[in-house]
Amino acid sequence: MKGPLSYLQPGRNTKVSDQSETMSFIPGQPVTAVVQRIEIRKLRQGEHLILGFSIGGGIDQDPGQNPFSEDKSDKGIYVTRVTPEGPAEVAGLMMGDKVMQVNGWDMTMVTHDQARKRLTKKNEDVVRLLVTRKSLEQAVKHSMM
Amino acid sequence: MPMDRYADMENKLRILEDLNMMYIRQIALSLQDSDIQKKIDHEIRMRDGACKLLAACSQRDQALEAAKSLLTCNTRIMAYMSELQRMKEAQVMQRVARRSDGTRSSDAGPMDDRLPCKGKVAISDLRIPLMWKDTEYFKNKGELHRCAVFCLLQVGGEIHDTDMVMVDRTLTDICFDNTIVFSEASPGFELRVELYSCCSEEDYSAGSAPRKLASKLSSSLGRSAGKKLRVAMDPGACSPTSNGGAVTLLLPGHAVAGPKYHLLAHTSLSLSHVQDSFRTHDLSISGNEDCSYWVPLYGSVCCRLAAQPHCMTQQMMSGCLKVKQLGGDPQSWTNVYGVLKGTNLFCYHRQEDMEANVEPAFTIAINKETRIRASEKDPHSKAQSICISNQYGGEEVTHTLSADSHEETHRWMEAFWQQFYDMSQWKQCCDDLMKIELPSPRKPALVTSKQGSLYHEIVIDTSDDISTVTDILTRRMQELELRSQLGTSPPWMSLFEESPGGPRTPRLARHSPRSPHRLPHSPLSPLRCPWPGLLSSDASLTSDSDSPCSTSPCSRHRGWAEPLSSPRFRPRTLSLDAKLSTLRGRGYGGVLQCSCQPPSSSSLGPIPAQCVPQATLSCSSSTSSNSSSEGSHSPSSLDGTPFSRPSSARRSLRNVRAKLDPRNWLQSQV
Repeated sequence: MKGPLSYLQPGRNTKVSDQSETMSFIPGQPVTAVVQRIEIRKLRQGEHLILGFSIGGGIDQDPGQNPFSEDKSDKGIYVTRVTPEGPAEVAGLMMGDKVMQVNGWDMTMVTHDQARKRLTKKNEDVVRLLVTRKSLEQAVKHSMM
Repeated sequence: MPMDRYADMENKLRILEDLNMMYIRQIALSLQDSDIQKKIDHEIRMRDGACKLLAACSQRDQALEAAKSLLTCNTRIMAYMSELQRMKEAQVMQRVARRSDGTRSSDAGPMDDRLPCKGKVAISDLRIPLMWKDTEYFKNKGELHRCAVFCLLQVGGEIHDTDMVMVDRTLTDICFDNTIVFSEASPGFELRVELYSCCSEEDYSAGSAPRKLASKLSSSLGRSAGKKLRVAMDPGACSPTSNGGAVTLLLPGHAVAGPKYHLLAHTSLSLSHVQDSFRTHDLSISGNEDCSYWVPLYGSVCCRLAAQPHCMTQQMMSGCLKVKQLGGDPQSWTNVYGVLKGTNLFCYHRQEDMEANVEPAFTIAINKETRIRASEKDPHSKAQSICISNQYGGEEVTHTLSADSHEETHRWMEAFWQQFYDMSQWKQCCDDLMKIELPSPRKPALVTSKQGSLYHEIVIDTSDDISTVTDILTRRMQELELRSQLGTSPPWMSLFEESPGGPRTPRLARHSPRSPHRLPHSPLSPLRCPWPGLLSSDASLTSDSDSPCSTSPCSRHRGWAEPLSSPRFRPRTLSLDAKLSTLRGRGYGGVLQCSCQPPSSSSLGPIPAQCVPQATLSCSSSTSSNSSSEGSHSPSSLDGTPFSRPSSARRSLRNVRAKLDPRNWLQSQV
């Protein structure tokens, strides 16, 4: 399911874009965010493919306990831990990032388990994430000034 | 446009309201009764405050509380109003009577009739049983239909409200813990108990619980939910008596937006219902199943209604007397200080004795069986004397009292007659003094957060660390080891030896035989001594995801010799929860519970807050540790240790149970 989202995708490195909005989520309105595209190659560990980070959140979780979200009603998927030297860290994922898309699949309106499943599909070697973080917004704002 | 018309109407209603308020104030002023005037002013101010709060607040709970205060204020104002009207009428009648007769008719008041004394009436432990249909009671799906209820208690002009209670189908009774005391009630009092309720449907905003949102997203509105919504959005549809018919015009509650309470049931209690124990009374229920505010009542209310007439609690008469016991030595008058209180006439040697709370010299019973008469003028004394006869067993004992003067004697006789009259009016309340517990000023009950989880209320001292908890536990372990060395080991110690029943991996078999031997010789660091081996042995069980797996690789790599003494690792990597879960896996749960009790009440680090309460409070459920270990936030570094993957069967079990645990904020490693 591809959600009703419109992204600004400046590419792998953050670039100036026309509009930059806040990360707040208004139900029913399309979400606009400054995102970074991160490509993670899964690492084979025995018979498992791992990415090297942990996620938290989901529409079935309590958003008040999310330490990384600014808006405590944000039920999105956040990166809670990044294993050092793991594939995610190498690709540029950072703790506190909010995952917006995985391989084109929306991650802003999913349950925790759905999110985990979308990241751990056995037949996929590579996951392309769209993540957003506060620093991206600020970088864009600064570069616009 | 219709909106303008509504706004117009609202304005008109508001103007009417203000006029009514002014009218009420005028009446109060004209009667020059400052007492009622003050009370009315106070209530009007409270009412304004409640209206403003209702308009301003956004939370449903706040709105319900504000609506409750609004209803109480309205009812109180109505009561004062009616009292004012009565007084006004009485005044007018008096004037009319005076004009027609030319004489003051105020003497026609009850001067000849005796007035009974007033008393305290207390109602406590109100309990209203509910009668849910068994289909509703066991229904697990669907939203919990909740109602906010409270009771309004009225004696004459005194109106009190109880606290608000949220009722849903998990409740079997509505219990109100308040004790309400009415201080000045006459024996003919009528205590009106009214139960008000207001439905409290969750509105579909972002504030609702995640699960509800998910279920709403996945399922559409059912017929019953839709019906409830429709009724809720249509105020006053089922409320013929919302706030009382006349009151709606006088004090239009409709002008105020927000939740509205409706009368659900009422009953009236009086002196005949007073008893020193719990009794069940019938309720008259208004409203039916289709109303939004409906709560299925069984039809009765249980409560304890006690009364303390003042004649039982206060001194009705006191003074100096001379007492002579008939059958005793004639002419032997004893000078006493007598105090008439309750069912006794206490006779003290001196007045100071009574004030010093010394035991009285003797006590004469004054109760329903007592006979009192004024005797003829005793030729030896100047004044009349009073004879009090009582039956003690089969014997009749008579005391003769004599006062100093004729007036004193008359006053004592009056006091006795009044006492008898009071006792006849208050009937069963004068047999024995009923206890009334005054409601102590207690702190308001903890308002649980939306999750309603007690764990969110646990006070956590951020300065303390998980290491203190582990220290306590290890110290206890050490004590127990010492005891085992002496030969008196507790039965569970055997679990640390080779226990055939426990879940074990090959690693466990390797390590465990060493643990009991190892422990006595272990070096100083307390953390090392019991835990590491156990941790490593159960690595596969606990290392389902991030943080606990840090424990196993650490110890696996470091082995026994390597001390985990670096303070950097101790508090962070070895989660208490992982340790507890390993021990739990060996059925250690029961004892661990006691050793965990002391730390649980005191401080824990904020990060493992989710892990520890579960471990201490529910040691028996092993999966809660797994889920909580998932839920821990500790961002520990693993130093390139390999990731371990749980088997899929264990993982699915863990998933299911972890998902069912609402305290967690799940984290998954991918």
